[in-house]
Amino acid sequence: MAAVGFGLITSAVLAIAAVGFTLQFAVTDVLNLAFAAVMTAGAFIAYTVNQAGASIWVAVIAGMAASSLISVALNYVVYSPFQRRGSAPITLVIVSLGMALIVEFTIAAIVGGIGVSYTMSQGSTIKVGGMVLTTVQLIIIAISVIVMAGVYALLRYTRLGKAMRATAANRMLARNCGIRATRVIAITWALTGALCGLAGTVFAIDVGSFDPSSTDIFLVLILAAVFLGGPGNAYGAMLGALVIGVTTEVSAAYIQPDYKYVVAFVILLAMLAVRPAGLLGAKA
Amino acid sequence: MLDAPGQTASALTKHRWIRAVGMAAAVALTAALAACSGNSSASPAASSALTFADVAPFSGPDAALGPTYLVACAGAAHAINKAGGILGHKVVCTAADTRGEPADAVPAVGNLFATAKDLELVIGCTSDEAASVVPVINSHHTVMFCMTGQSEFDHVHFPYFYRLVPPDLAESYAMTVIAQNLHYKKIALAFGNDIGSQTFVQPAMAAMAKAGLKVVANETLDLNATTFRTEAEKVVAAHPDAIMTEALGSADPTLFSEIKQLNGGKLIPIIGTSAAISPAFYTACVLSVGAGDFTKNFHADNLVTSTSGPAYDAFTKALLAIRDTVRGSQTGDFSPYFTAPGAVHLYDGMNLAALAMVAAKSTDVAKWQPWIAKIGDGVPGAVVVDSFAAGVAALKAGEMIRYVGPGGSTSFDAFHDSPGIFQIDTYNTKGLVEVAGNITAAQLRAVEP
Amino acid sequence: MYYLIILMVYTAVDAIACLGLSQQFGVAGVTNFGFIIFQAAGAYVAAILALPNDAANGGFQTYVGGLHLPFPLPWIGAAVAGGLLALPFTLLVGRRLRGDFAAIGLLVTAVLLNLLVMNYRPLFNGDAGVSLVPTPLQCGMFVGAQVSYQYGFAIGGLVLAALVYLFVRRLTQSPYGRTLRAMRDNDKVADSLGKNLLALRTGALVTGGAIAGLSGAILVSFIGVWSPAAWSYAETIVLFTAVIIGGAGNHVGAVLGAVLVPVGFEEITRFISNSNPSLPPNLLPSLQWVAIGLLIAIFLWARPQGVLPERRRVNAPPPAARQPGDGMARLAVRRPAGPGAEILAAIDLRKDFGGLHAVDGVSLSVTAGTLTGLIGPNGAGKSTLLSLLAGTDRASGGRISFRGQDITTLPAYRRARIGLVRTFQLASEYKRLTVMENLLSAVPVNRGDSFIGAMAGRWYWRDDEEHAIARATALIDSFGLTDKANEYAGDLSGGQRRLVEIMRALMTAPDMLLLDEPMAGVHPELAGRIGEALRELCRQGMTILMVEHELAIMDKFCDPVIVMADGQVLAQGTMAELRDRSEVVEAYLVG
Repeated sequence: MAAVGFGLITSAVLAIAAVGFTLQFAVTDVLNLAFAAVMTAGAFIAYTVNQAGASIWVAVIAGMAASSLISVALNYVVYSPFQRRGSAPITLVIVSLGMALIVEFTIAAIVGGIGVSYTMSQGSTIKVGGMVLTTVQLIIIAISVIVMAGVYALLRYTRLGKAMRATAANRMLARNCGIRATRVIAITWALTGALCGLAGTVFAIDVGSFDPSSTDIFLVLILAAVFLGGPGNAYGAMLGALVIGVTTEVSAAYIQPDYKYVVAFVILLAMLAVRPAGLLGAKA
Repeated sequence: MLDAPGQTASALTKHRWIRAVGMAAAVALTAALAACSGNSSASPAASSALTFADVAPFSGPDAALGPTYLVACAGAAHAINKAGGILGHKVVCTAADTRGEPADAVPAVGNLFATAKDLELVIGCTSDEAASVVPVINSHHTVMFCMTGQSEFDHVHFPYFYRLVPPDLAESYAMTVIAQNLHYKKIALAFGNDIGSQTFVQPAMAAMAKAGLKVVANETLDLNATTFRTEAEKVVAAHPDAIMTEALGSADPTLFSEIKQLNGGKLIPIIGTSAAISPAFYTACVLSVGAGDFTKNFHADNLVTSTSGPAYDAFTKALLAIRDTVRGSQTGDFSPYFTAPGAVHLYDGMNLAALAMVAAKSTDVAKWQPWIAKIGDGVPGAVVVDSFAAGVAALKAGEMIRYVGPGGSTSFDAFHDSPGIFQIDTYNTKGLVEVAGNITAAQLRAVEP
Repeated sequence: MYYLIILMVYTAVDAIACLGLSQQFGVAGVTNFGFIIFQAAGAYVAAILALPNDAANGGFQTYVGGLHLPFPLPWIGAAVAGGLLALPFTLLVGRRLRGDFAAIGLLVTAVLLNLLVMNYRPLFNGDAGVSLVPTPLQCGMFVGAQVSYQYGFAIGGLVLAALVYLFVRRLTQSPYGRTLRAMRDNDKVADSLGKNLLALRTGALVTGGAIAGLSGAILVSFIGVWSPAAWSYAETIVLFTAVIIGGAGNHVGAVLGAVLVPVGFEEITRFISNSNPSLPPNLLPSLQWVAIGLLIAIFLWARPQGVLPERRRVNAPPPAARQPGDGMARLAVRRPAGPGAEILAAIDLRKDFGGLHAVDGVSLSVTAGTLTGLIGPNGAGKSTLLSLLAGTDRASGGRISFRGQDITTLPAYRRARIGLVRTFQLASEYKRLTVMENLLSAVPVNRGDSFIGAMAGRWYWRDDEEHAIARATALIDSFGLTDKANEYAGDLSGGQRRLVEIMRALMTAPDMLLLDEPMAGVHPELAGRIGEALRELCRQGMTILMVEHELAIMDKFCDPVIVMADGQVLAQGTMAELRDRSEVVEAYLVG
């Protein structure tokens, strides 16, 4: 049962990241493999702010802002021009891999390879029905739930959300209906970039000690969650994150723990081979 | 494909030609590159410098190791040069980045041999690359002092290979003896899944079986992972008396804090390996579980190394002298280099090699190699010296010497491994290492399966 | 000089690996982000076949195998292993999975397998890997052998690289290679023209995998050690960079890329001194990766074809074949059906997209030898219906039969092979094949259009090829594109590309042709000539179903004409008849 509690934490962090990733894909049709690297960037900006004396939660905001900026820049300088040219999706993926390298190793060049931690307290431990969590972990889960609710409200009730859904479904048609696709896309990158930064800082808080390569494996978990739920589907990403997070931790309790990620990857491959549309089907 | 008739032959020929030219150019360029620098000849010119090379990872997951060894090299070289050098030659240090994996390590070493002038000694070669580079260095008849504890080198003979750090096998037995001494009956194992840690598990389990201890949990930690809560939970649920662990990087500190959390705020006693005796490890653990808790509950095996006395003083003096040339360590502080794993052993290895050359009055490896064992193991009636300068002075006075540096005395076996004597280390709340006891050879033999 | 030998061996290994990748990615268009695992599989298998039992040397390692087989068995085993390992991945790349999704699946597999091997020690000794691997024809490791042996090994490696080069070149220059490139340029179209995508992609994966496995065998025999650290998925990125920079699809370019990136770039940086302790130690290696990322982005933007782009292949016809006359006449229709017989029937066909009924219960019958028109307002479902008939899309309900055979579940490429071929509404020529190659690729039977046939060599398929070229030349001449025959189809004007598409469909010598707006963007005079040509074909026994907007064309050439609106058939008859029907007129005015 304790494993389920740990799984919830992993799911919480994963959900924020997966939703950001999948919305980027839904609205802009780019599988942005640089996502994890931008998470790291946010985490390290937060670290710098934190080291300068600010509280961790202020640092989180700084991290979100930084990642948002980097994401918008990525789209404006790199992805958009390639898309305007009519590049194939696979070219975009290869380019995003290149961007991932550039972002991650620029950070590594500046920071070095050693691990750092935020200056913060983890709070006291609380036992809730068989699960053992600290205060900070509970806060993280709460943040994640709020973000999910916010995304839901955004997509369903706001005009921007509807514009995003329309652009995701059919860009040309959306444009014909008067939706300014370029603007929607730019805003999407800004928003999902902020989610990316939030995911990065929350990830770093959860992990304790992190370095520029900490998110490398996490990217694959994000992909697993996204493809499990259905690429482009925000609710699918949430569901996928929950499943992946809990399954990896629970499986670690029953089989050798060093294989826990293997379980996640096998799930991802099985989905791709059998049902590429994911559990929740086509794009949201 | 049908080319127009005239084109066929010339198109095919053209491409074979381009390819041949390309290959030839590549080969010629590399030959030029490879040949342009020094070819180690039998004896260096009178005023030229001798090179000691640090072959270790400078990038990748173990990127901290290479630079650390380089500092030890620089320190030893400085002290040697200050005492007049080796037979009048100065010593310079160079490095080859193996990137921590065999396919990159071999070209790195190849490049080293192609470009280094008068390469006399290699230090470093960690578990990440030892299996692939030791044979290469050996085939170049170059003496090396390596950091790997892999059991391969307990059984396979490479004449130029020397090792002053304990083999992993022996450390497993030492950890078992520690458990015995502290009267722990139920042990949980938590080792990482990397080369360095995987080799502890089987020997430790065998030794504990022989010693009558019970293994109640055996968790392998994926060093790629960033949390280990489920593993910690399994460990806690097994109610062990102590945990035996090596999981480098941030894995162990993270694990300890999670164990403490899940165990109702109480940390379970920990037995670590010699790799845990490092300031970085101490700092990380203190950050994660608190100084009081950590120091009360932590023991590690380590080779007997002094932390005071004339040998150690010479060592710290040597390092301090080059302090300004080194970019600060992780925390901007130089003191980690004094107790970094391997620092004292490699420093000792360099001194041994240097003194061997002085004693043999030659830089020809065939002549000075036998002196390593003579000076390390000592012969009856030898004067014990604790630094290069002291050794040179004694040799000048016509004495036979035995070098005993801060790493303790050596005793080379047939495979040039110096098993060493173990002690039990703990930390105090100021982060300094304290010796809590010793482990005798008899105790080790008693648990050897 | 030992370093020289290292460089020679690594050049050979990387060249072979890049050739394999170029074949997969540059020629066949299969993006294999897990490429490195095939090299790793080859290395491991070569190692465990050459190593003695794992109790040797004090038993410090554990691994499966240990058969101590003599050379060349371990190397052959390595290539076989690399090829076999590719088979399960056809689940990912064979189906209609988006290329980028499949690529990600392969990347995840690379990470997954690395983790598995690292953690499961009994397999390949876990993270420490296998060591003391003996080198071919010797008892011990490579480093222990004589200098003359070492040079021999290095030169042997380079010779192997040359042989691999010749192998992939033979493959690519054959009709089979042309088919692979067609699949790369537009897989949907290749499918509709009779190419079995699953088989082709499997072949590409297996070929590339075997080549990669061979490169792994050479590497492990040289180093003597192989561990998980040597094949992280980042290594695949380096190889991709090499192929992209060198020129994907050009095999000399692949070799050039290998020399520039994995060998050149990585080795030059070693000369930059690491012995300066005042530099941040991680700086140079990190900058190296940043440089790789920049290279990828810059090359894909500014010069995606690479330093040595894929060569344009020129096919000039043998002089004897050039005859004046109508190329159309040479297109003997394969199996003329008896005129008046029903050749194609659809019964209650449906296609739903979510809640939208694009085709809503269509039943129709096409008579052999007719030029049938299909018209209707925008959104009537004409193109969708065509897709269902051709097999590009799967019907949600209903049945289709062709020449009496139920083809409802038959895949598109099979339908093409039994004589039912379509064209597409949007430009779908193979852009990086010449006009001539576009046509040649559509030929249904060519001995060189299989792996075995390609390997057999030019003498084997020369006759079929010349025959095809003759047919194609005649067709090109009759449509007036002679001077463009050896230009890239992607460089032509819109109308010309439309012609290429029609000609290409004709090359398949179909029994029935489904044309999706063939006259769109074509000069009216040329449209007229095309119409005449089509009518002539029908007189010879071909059946054509043509979607068109131009009612004038319908008037002139088509009889009967089917009208669709809102996913259903509204009416059928000659244009004159239809003009009298009020509901038809209304559909056009309102729709």
